[in-house]
Amino acid sequence: MLQIERDADGVRLAGRFDAGQVETANRVFDTVETSVEVRCDALDYISSAGLSVLLHTQQRLSRTGHGLRLSGLNPHIRLVFEYAGLTDIFAIR
Amino acid sequence: MDRSFERSLERLDDIFTFLAECASEYALDPGSTFAVNMAVEELFTNMVKYNRSGTGDIAVSVNGHADGVEVRMVDPDSQPFDITAMAEIDTSAPLEARRPGGLGIHLVRSLMDEVQYDYRGRKTSIRLFKNRP
Repeated sequence: MLQIERDADGVRLAGRFDAGQVETANRVFDTVETSVEVRCDALDYISSAGLSVLLHTQQRLSRTGHGLRLSGLNPHIRLVFEYAGLTDIFAIR
Repeated sequence: MDRSFERSLERLDDIFTFLAECASEYALDPGSTFAVNMAVEELFTNMVKYNRSGTGDIAVSVNGHADGVEVRMVDPDSQPFDITAMAEIDTSAPLEARRPGGLGIHLVRSLMDEVQYDYRGRKTSIRLFKNRP
């Protein structure tokens, strides 16, 4: 199950971002229109379905000069970003 | 451990529960557990999305060995789609050229140490192996 919250600081993800969570996540990411931080410190898992939501959002934001900043990726998720070639696509810290 | 799942994305949570039981039973390390979860999700969702009219449940079996974990998935009624023969995606393409298609299979092949595909008589069988660290 994915917990996703939009607050003044950006977006916070927790739990599992799998193919069953895409609609829920899209409803939140579709409201993002400027650069924000996506806090992933409590995110345990992400699959290609979750990556696609982030990638689609990044493509949309980049057209207006904005982007997502990702923080708190656990080592397994960071490895997935590396295998997917996404470490240069997102600002990650 | 073996279990079969209805051909529906609504079964994903049941699959993750089953995989957690397997991880506990075979004392899998966190990296192997993550890789097995991702591989099974990616393959199961592909089997559901691209073969909705197939009949019969999709079987998932996980077995722990001294040197790693073995996963087998069987779709009894499917079209051929050799995941080991798929062209590599371009992971260095610029943002605007990125497409999600093929990313899931790319990650399965990256995270698992062995990926084998077999197709005969409409039955797809996939065997995966992840070495213990």
